[in-house]
Amino acid sequence: MRIVVAVKQVAALDEEFELLVDGRSVDPDYLEWDLNEWDTFSLEAALQLRDALDGDGHEVVAVTIGEEEAQEGLLACLAKGADRAVRVWDESLRDSDVLAVARVLAAVIERESPDLVLCGVQSSDAVNGATGVALSGFLGLAHVAVVKHIELDGTTVTVQRELEGGLVEILTLPLPALLTIQTGINEPRYATLRAIKQAREKPLESLSLGELGLDHGAVAAAAGSRVVSIAHPERGEGAQMLEGAPAEVAARIVEIVRDRMTG
Amino acid sequence: MARDPKYDILFEPIQIGPKTLKNRFYQVPHCIGAGSEKPGMQAYHRGMKAEGGWGACCTEYCSIHPESDDTSRVSARIWDDGDVQNLAAMCDRLHEFGALAGIELWYGGPHAPCMESRATPRGPSQIASDFELNIFPRNMDQDDIDTVQQMYVDAAIRAREAGFDIVYVYGAHAYMPFQFLSPFYNRRSDKYGGSFENRARFWRESLIKVREAVGDDCAIASRFAVDHLLGPISIQVGEDGKRFVEHCDDVVDLWDFTVGDIAEWGQNAGPSRFFEENHEKPYTGQIKAGNHTNKPVVGVGRITNPDTMVAIIRSGQFDIIGAARPSISDPFLPQKIEEGRLDDIRECIGCNQCISRWEIGGPPMVCTQNATAGEEYRRGWHPEKFHPAANSEKSVLVIGAGPAGMECAMILGKREMSAVHLVEAHKQIGGCVNWISQLGHSDGKENIFRGTARGLGEWSRIVNYRQIQLDKLRNVEVHTNSRLSAEDVLGYGAEIVIVATGCHYATDGMNAATHAPIPGADTSLDWQLTPDEVVSGAKQIGKRVLVLENEAYFMGVSVAQKLAGEGHDVTLVTQAGDIAGYMHYTLEAPMLHRDLERLGVHIHTYTMLDSIEPGVCHAYDVWNPAETHDFEVDTVVLCTARISDDELYRELKADKERLASEGIEGLYIIGDASAPRMIVDSVFDGHRLAREIDSPTPEMPLPFIRERRLWGDSSNATYLGQLSSTADISLV
Repeated sequence: MRIVVAVKQVAALDEEFELLVDGRSVDPDYLEWDLNEWDTFSLEAALQLRDALDGDGHEVVAVTIGEEEAQEGLLACLAKGADRAVRVWDESLRDSDVLAVARVLAAVIERESPDLVLCGVQSSDAVNGATGVALSGFLGLAHVAVVKHIELDGTTVTVQRELEGGLVEILTLPLPALLTIQTGINEPRYATLRAIKQAREKPLESLSLGELGLDHGAVAAAAGSRVVSIAHPERGEGAQMLEGAPAEVAARIVEIVRDRMTG
Repeated sequence: MARDPKYDILFEPIQIGPKTLKNRFYQVPHCIGAGSEKPGMQAYHRGMKAEGGWGACCTEYCSIHPESDDTSRVSARIWDDGDVQNLAAMCDRLHEFGALAGIELWYGGPHAPCMESRATPRGPSQIASDFELNIFPRNMDQDDIDTVQQMYVDAAIRAREAGFDIVYVYGAHAYMPFQFLSPFYNRRSDKYGGSFENRARFWRESLIKVREAVGDDCAIASRFAVDHLLGPISIQVGEDGKRFVEHCDDVVDLWDFTVGDIAEWGQNAGPSRFFEENHEKPYTGQIKAGNHTNKPVVGVGRITNPDTMVAIIRSGQFDIIGAARPSISDPFLPQKIEEGRLDDIRECIGCNQCISRWEIGGPPMVCTQNATAGEEYRRGWHPEKFHPAANSEKSVLVIGAGPAGMECAMILGKREMSAVHLVEAHKQIGGCVNWISQLGHSDGKENIFRGTARGLGEWSRIVNYRQIQLDKLRNVEVHTNSRLSAEDVLGYGAEIVIVATGCHYATDGMNAATHAPIPGADTSLDWQLTPDEVVSGAKQIGKRVLVLENEAYFMGVSVAQKLAGEGHDVTLVTQAGDIAGYMHYTLEAPMLHRDLERLGVHIHTYTMLDSIEPGVCHAYDVWNPAETHDFEVDTVVLCTARISDDELYRELKADKERLASEGIEGLYIIGDASAPRMIVDSVFDGHRLAREIDSPTPEMPLPFIRERRLWGDSSNATYLGQLSSTADISLV
């Protein structure tokens, strides 16, 4: 069995940061890179499924789209136990939206002919929560989103989702299928120092768009949106600070509440 | 990052007599164990704070004459030209960083036992010291008064020569000038006793004489306890407290306000388990805000929060934020506020370990939060600068994230080791601090005297600070909920392995008093507990509880406080002459005794358990074992010996060939896993190993500079040659 896990190296902002002059992205000097938190759970799920299978020849393949910094994320996946990794990058992908990313991922994943594809529910930086679902569309796979439990059974996969009121929904899908994985489904392992060192010996492929049979036009055709700008929200009136002894402050609060209720 | 404008007020200069203080951060006089006889430690400890942004730093109390000799406690001294030379080193160091240097001129009277000088202290009236054992002063006549006042003048002139900018006439903590002011000490009937003006005369005259001598060149300060906390028999803030400030306001340039005296100075240097930040405000807050002075005022209260600092200045309590302990815990506190790095501030936890060493008499100061305190000169340690390790290409596995492990991993990270993994068996890092910080409280009600039993919650700052720093270090990974076996460690791939697995309490009553288990002691039974089980709530606790306390520090009494506060009938038994003996050194003992009294805890000292049976503990008097006593109990808590959890280390060490074949070049053990100790010493142990991880034998501490007299010719170079570690500060 082959399980492909799509992962993303996400950016975290420093406490203070600045936007680039184009007004469409954050100055990369203020970013720190790390593997998306959701993807640590989907990778762990994949590793646990693989390890529970009988016989040899089962593998977990981590794939990502990203620049050089994404290499670290893939190495982290390999250190934790992924068998192989593939990274795709082309300068034209720099400002890609969800659909464009999913289109490229679909090309690289099709090449792997997987039995199961796992994604995180969302990425912590872009927070679209859409890549996995869009990917299932391009791949033509059955999918379930926000999964909190997985059981493999030969040709099918049975999953659980949590609904409102604590209800649990149980669904069975034929393989191959795509699942997006919720945090908390498992306890992600960490890599030992030895595993981190040995990860560098594992296969890590770097592909261009051309090697996937894609070009800029095909990706652009898939895209649905583009970022116009990002900006800080306009400041509101702000909070009113009440000063004085507790009794005075309390009296003032009562006054304000009464005023608002009657006003 | 830049400073938040709301803190601008903390960085406004202020005039103090002829001197300008560059900001509002002021290290008030406090002891460190350096005095005038360890000039390197003195200069580099105070200098570190000046480098970190403090606008002024003072000496500890500084004796003006051999008849004010506090041996074995270490004061500074400015008796002669040699002292001038040694203290000048401190002044020079402070001036390099633009800070003012202050000196606290001290005459102790009966509170100075003169054990080295063998001199006879003088006092306003011949009443034995309430601080020392059996020390009486000689009654002072007018000649004596003139002589002692001249001692202040001569010392002030020497202080100016050394380079001091601020000269104190120190009267707080019930030393000489206060002894004249307070009827508790002063029973005179001449012009120095009786009325307020008469009692204030000695202090006022001394201030005037010192001012006349050096006032054009130096700011004249006075440290004054605005309330003695003894009620009407002594100085009260609403009476002679404010009156004295008004009376002498024209002859000082700076007031430094405190409360209490030296006999119970934990009321001033309040431990966190009884006092919150700025706890002296009800007293010290009355003077400036009540318009009783027109001079700048500095004061303390273990103030670590910059918002509190701003509120203090805006409310008119003080103009200048004084600090002793917060400046020890973080010498760079001002600079971190200036740079907007509030989450890097290493806040004092109020454990008073710093004070304990002065109280013991002799040892250098220590700090639980800042392992470099007192080590600036003798080991060349800087609290914020770390040179990359010579073996920084190595990867390190630290097992156990208690105080020693957290500190070690953090410093190794700052020393740029290629990779540091800190692996903890439990869900959270912190080790013993996580449960110890839940102790020390009782029922939250007012104590018999000031303060409440707040508990040891602020000790969790040990964890918080390190957690934040560890998160910032990109070369450090922290993994929790992961218990490693020896096989796991061998296969981990680290070149350096550091075991910091802590310790546990004896389950069989093994203890320091008898060096043997206690027959019948067995905490596997549901009615016998180790202290951590009291916190975890693992076992039902009966009405009648006996706590056996053999450690002489906080554990037994903290358990007793908690259980008595919850309504149990608690009996506290110790083989020693007092419960929790070390807490006298940390100044916690008086408040602790009051809380235990209030809670009705039955204390039996000089008592040890012979055996334990269901329902009864058989005890005996340690001076007369034939005298026995049976305690009927439902539950027993054994605060006896602690035992290192060193099995992992022993197992790893046993197979040196396997260690080598797995590529493990260094295996070390630190903290309680090495030998149970106080938290302050665990933090130091972890820090020390990380500082010296690239030495030829990291398991052996490198020699440090010893500031002792070298027979024959010697120079500073002779001392610097003794430092075999690499200094992170430039020593001259």
